[in-house]
Amino acid sequence: MINVGIAGLGRQGMLHLMNCRHIDGIQVIAAADTSKKARGKAKILGVRNLYEDYNVMFKSHPNLDAVIMSVPNFLHLASIQSALESGFNVFTEKPLANNSEECRKIVSLVRKSGKKLMIGHNCRFYEMTKTMKHQLDNGFIGDLEVVTAEEVINGPFAHPYVPAPVSEWWFDPKKAGGGVLLDVGYHMIDLFRFFAGEARVRYSYLGHRLNLQVEDSAIIMLQSDSVGTKGIINVGWYERTIFPRFDFRVILHGNAGYSSSDELVPKNLYSYAAKEGVKNVLRRISGRKINPLRYTYFYEAYYKELSHFFECIRTDCDPSVSATDGLKTIEIIENAYQVAKEVPKDGKPS
Amino acid sequence: MGSPVSLVHCDPNSGSLASSIEKSVELIHFKPGKEVKTVVIKPNLNYYWETATGCTTDPRVVGALVDYLRETYGQDLTIRVVEADASAMRTKHVFPMLGYGRLAENKGIELFNLSTDNLKKEKVSVKGRNLEFEVPQSILTADLFINLPKLKTMRMTKITCAMKNIFGCIATPRKFVYHPVLEEAIVGINKIIKSHLTIVDGLVGLGRFPVKLDLIMASVDVFSVDWVAAQIMGINPRSIKFLRIAREENLGNPSGITTCGEELNRFKKQFPREGLIPQKLSWSLQFGLLHLYKKVSGDVIPPFLEEE
Repeated sequence: MINVGIAGLGRQGMLHLMNCRHIDGIQVIAAADTSKKARGKAKILGVRNLYEDYNVMFKSHPNLDAVIMSVPNFLHLASIQSALESGFNVFTEKPLANNSEECRKIVSLVRKSGKKLMIGHNCRFYEMTKTMKHQLDNGFIGDLEVVTAEEVINGPFAHPYVPAPVSEWWFDPKKAGGGVLLDVGYHMIDLFRFFAGEARVRYSYLGHRLNLQVEDSAIIMLQSDSVGTKGIINVGWYERTIFPRFDFRVILHGNAGYSSSDELVPKNLYSYAAKEGVKNVLRRISGRKINPLRYTYFYEAYYKELSHFFECIRTDCDPSVSATDGLKTIEIIENAYQVAKEVPKDGKPS
Repeated sequence: MGSPVSLVHCDPNSGSLASSIEKSVELIHFKPGKEVKTVVIKPNLNYYWETATGCTTDPRVVGALVDYLRETYGQDLTIRVVEADASAMRTKHVFPMLGYGRLAENKGIELFNLSTDNLKKEKVSVKGRNLEFEVPQSILTADLFINLPKLKTMRMTKITCAMKNIFGCIATPRKFVYHPVLEEAIVGINKIIKSHLTIVDGLVGLGRFPVKLDLIMASVDVFSVDWVAAQIMGINPRSIKFLRIAREENLGNPSGITTCGEELNRFKKQFPREGLIPQKLSWSLQFGLLHLYKKVSGDVIPPFLEEE
């Protein structure tokens, strides 16, 4: 049995808690959050030991095998450091930290501790990403010339059925570390790295449509170091979208063909949900294990990434997304912020 | 008795917004009851979504209204644009995000958070139900209080326009506490807070999807505005519960409501009607099925899709 603690019970932390309940051999024995309401929900979900402060949780439960960190960006370094020094394996939400200096510290702490750290790069765990990677690796696309990756959503300004306030730290550049580039762009850049390897920034434009102190749109052009594959990253926080509509796509353009996420994601998410839902009900009736969140298509990735992390602990393997992946992605983002300073506000290269 | 409601077509990009507002006000022969020195304008800024979504009042309309007011009542007017914090929205963020910060700088007007106003608890009875609201006092003392809502459909109340925008004046941020009695609360707050003039920003209307209507409406009576707005949105105003209650509480009367200016049908034809009953049923059905599925399969519902 792997004993798990969860730090942060916001929407994401709560989703991790619910997913843990479906992973064999996992027991969430403690959780921490400053919100009493969140702790109450966790109690209903069977977590017996609840704390306001994750440091108290770490000290009270030295027997934890792993912790899931789902805290605001500005707490990543401190919380990860505390968890590693307490001797726990760590699963953390992205970004690894707010800047490359903090990321390097974390990389070094992970090495020193000998523990495992995995970052929640959930986009890598989408079914469509797996298929695209398979197609690329097997020559279906040929040489990869260009990757386009875009996600334009409402970011922190999307709200669930019952609206809830946007956490104040999102509005504070020091605490958030950046805007949409760090939030959504992080995933798209990681996907580029996943398909094409390490990259440099060739062009970067940051938009401020919503008059925030951080960027609410970004268009970045990348070029991979090894084979020269180009990447066009387009991300935004400015679009009002309501799930299941999702303005997200990745296209791999090669000289032998192409692969597009639009052709791999189910065309009608409602009928897909119904089909997968029925399958799960039948699985449960016949006593088999269900596929959690399969019916949502996109949210299933959160279950899969967590399952992978725990499997790595069980089998003593390295997680597929390491602290170095987080560092490399942040370095590209910092590079993009730097390059953007050289681009005039109208977006045209000088 | 109802009041006339003017309907004026305008082109927001041609610089004629101020003259369209002037025309809409002239058509209803609006005259303020006293000398105007202070003006309070209440747009609808319910969330951080931009005006093109049809959710929030266009700052260009507010700017044009400010120009018209200064032209009409004098350049030394004190003008305040007000909004109260809401369950999920904070005015300190919404003003700069939606372009009101820049507007205030350009036009020399004040942006004000009603939740920080001098507040008074006011009790009111609607259909025998006692309600209490925290009422910002500065609205009540303004020489001219202008209600500047949007033209939108809404699942809970069918429409949201003039009367619902006054509900947004309640200082309590957690206004969802009124949701179980939303219709009564809308009527209740409208009994306390009365605007002198309503101007509707119908540049973009929101039904099944946003649509460019290029419409400005004006009236002195919130009930009359909502009655006509419902017709434009393809909804029978008699089927709207808060209008029914308002009528019973003598807050409005459909008899005598007239429209002037453009033909109502011109805008009604353009408006993307929303099947509110199927939509309401569809939402209930989706959530019902989701929870049933959770129970039967033991699967997870992402917190983002949960009802609360």
